[in-house]
Amino acid sequence: MKQLFLSLTLAAATLSGGHAFAQAPDQADEIIRGHYQALLTDCAACHTKAGAKPLSGGAPLHTPFGDLIPPNITPDRETGIGKWTKEEFRSALKQGVGHDGKRLYPAMPYPAYTKMSDQDVDDLWSYIQTVEPVSNAVEANQLPFPFNIRLSMLGWNMLNFTPGEFKPDPAKSPEWNRGAYIVEGAGHCGTCHTPKNLTGADKDGVTLQGASLQGWYAPNITGNTHIGVGSWSDEEIVQYLKTGQNSHSIASGPMREAVQESTSMLSDADLKAIAVYIKSVDGGPSDKPKAVAADDPHMKAGGMIYHDTCSACHGLEGKGAKQLFPALAGSPLVQQPSAETLTHLVLYGSQGATTAAAPTTPSMPALGWRLNDQQVADVLTYIRNSWGNAAAAVAPADVKDKR
Amino acid sequence: MESHSLKRPTRRVFLSSVAMTLVAAGAGPALARSFSGLLPWQEGVANPPLQVRPGGWLFLTPEEVATMEAVVDRLVPADDLSIGGKEAGCVVYLDRQLAGTYGTSGRLYTSGPFLPGLPTQGYQAAATPSQRYRAGIAALNAFTRDAKGGKRFAELSPEDQDALLKEMEAGKVALPNKVDAKGFFNLMLSNAMEGFFADPIYGGNKDMASWKMLGFPGARYDYRDHVSKHNQPYPLPPVSIAGSTDWMAK
Repeated sequence: MKQLFLSLTLAAATLSGGHAFAQAPDQADEIIRGHYQALLTDCAACHTKAGAKPLSGGAPLHTPFGDLIPPNITPDRETGIGKWTKEEFRSALKQGVGHDGKRLYPAMPYPAYTKMSDQDVDDLWSYIQTVEPVSNAVEANQLPFPFNIRLSMLGWNMLNFTPGEFKPDPAKSPEWNRGAYIVEGAGHCGTCHTPKNLTGADKDGVTLQGASLQGWYAPNITGNTHIGVGSWSDEEIVQYLKTGQNSHSIASGPMREAVQESTSMLSDADLKAIAVYIKSVDGGPSDKPKAVAADDPHMKAGGMIYHDTCSACHGLEGKGAKQLFPALAGSPLVQQPSAETLTHLVLYGSQGATTAAAPTTPSMPALGWRLNDQQVADVLTYIRNSWGNAAAAVAPADVKDKR
Repeated sequence: MESHSLKRPTRRVFLSSVAMTLVAAGAGPALARSFSGLLPWQEGVANPPLQVRPGGWLFLTPEEVATMEAVVDRLVPADDLSIGGKEAGCVVYLDRQLAGTYGTSGRLYTSGPFLPGLPTQGYQAAATPSQRYRAGIAALNAFTRDAKGGKRFAELSPEDQDALLKEMEAGKVALPNKVDAKGFFNLMLSNAMEGFFADPIYGGNKDMASWKMLGFPGARYDYRDHVSKHNQPYPLPPVSIAGSTDWMAK
């Protein structure tokens, strides 16, 4: 019996050419943990182009400084990171300095990844070794002069980068610390949700308070009860991240991808930790601004447009319909300081996230053909200032910029 | 039991169904696409109808325009209830339709055999709507020139126009060039009604005149707030696919 077992094991080892099996059992654990790190860090969001092989290089990122193309990070020796050592990989993620001392641009969120533990980064490295090597040469640096000089990142780092692992706060719960570790580190939520300074680095003191990128406005996701997620329960935040929707909102735009590729596959415990942490983040004053008066001519026109165009789905009282149409009344997203996301949704439409738990993918039609700039502005002003909502009026010029 | 006229459409239906089956079998893999995980969807794609703008004629000649304007003004005369067919843009609607796929039967099965068919089957002949208008208007004006002292249809008095249209409707007029007067009348009547009642985006129903006359609320699609309000008029003005004047801040 014992002999039979041994020979079966040998046969299995011989037959399987896969990396995972060929390595020692503890490395298999490392690879599985590393795969989870790859979901947390969502490498694929940037490094995998739609329809392409995993991690073989991404679609261009349009930054305010120019375009950067996320490189091929498969283990291919010529065009990927096959020649890198584990130490170089760790240095790239945590110090922003890669193979041969090449400096990375902080579009690669090393200012966040620096907070990851060495263990988590090493696990991720082990996982990436198992990804199929793909030959795809990518010229990452498409920036114009002077931003194309990588050494300039030395100065950027001196100004903006504080390397160092996450330090748990002993005064807080382990759950809060786990949430903070994910959100500030591997999850790099602030890369989109934290406002940036002139050099493109996170501004101090406004962490996760909302920022504009790629034609969308990544909303405030702090404990702010008016425009953050402070009024959502932990369970509602977990549901949103797990399924892409809850009774308040449906993920769309870049967040739709983040949910589909990353948060929907995280453990419930980690999602709960994220919820606990982000609700504790200071989100600025929660005071509502004064709502635009209902008898304002633009509110009146907006109300008619809303009634004729939007109310069939979102309801005359802005309550929406669970699982299909997001509520607008009381929605933090609707009341952000910037109406950029709303403008995008109205002009171009949007499809909700699809996840195993919520596969319906309801979508909003594009209305840019039916409404002119003034009408889009008026209907947005209306939804931002009705049913108890209050936010700045939207100007036609803001809409024109987005066409 | 079997009558000749009933048998023919059956044969045609049979042939069509065989043809359909062959097409479906031959092109099956190309036609059938399966989607899983995510419904296909593209940002910014709406495919809305294009707004018809009045001005110029795309298909009708000036004489045809004059004739049809006279016809639609008799089919929908201006009165206490509404503006007339001409002012409502029925001929603009017709012109744009004839210039498009409707005029060329571009979206219909139009290969032979061409058999009379039953009245319930509608028009079964080969000519497209644009060909029928070109021939029909010419025949109508040729008829009035001979029978009404050299006048074209548009030059007749409204009473004479009505009388002639009624005779056409009843099939009592023989138009030249074998134009089927009754069939042509029905075609003009259908298109005049479409122009008068269709969404203004297609060129007719100016300012939603017919909808206002009827109290039809237009391109709305949710009446849940009014379902339980029995015997009360719907309070809101009509809205077109292209919008409403209430959408502009005053």
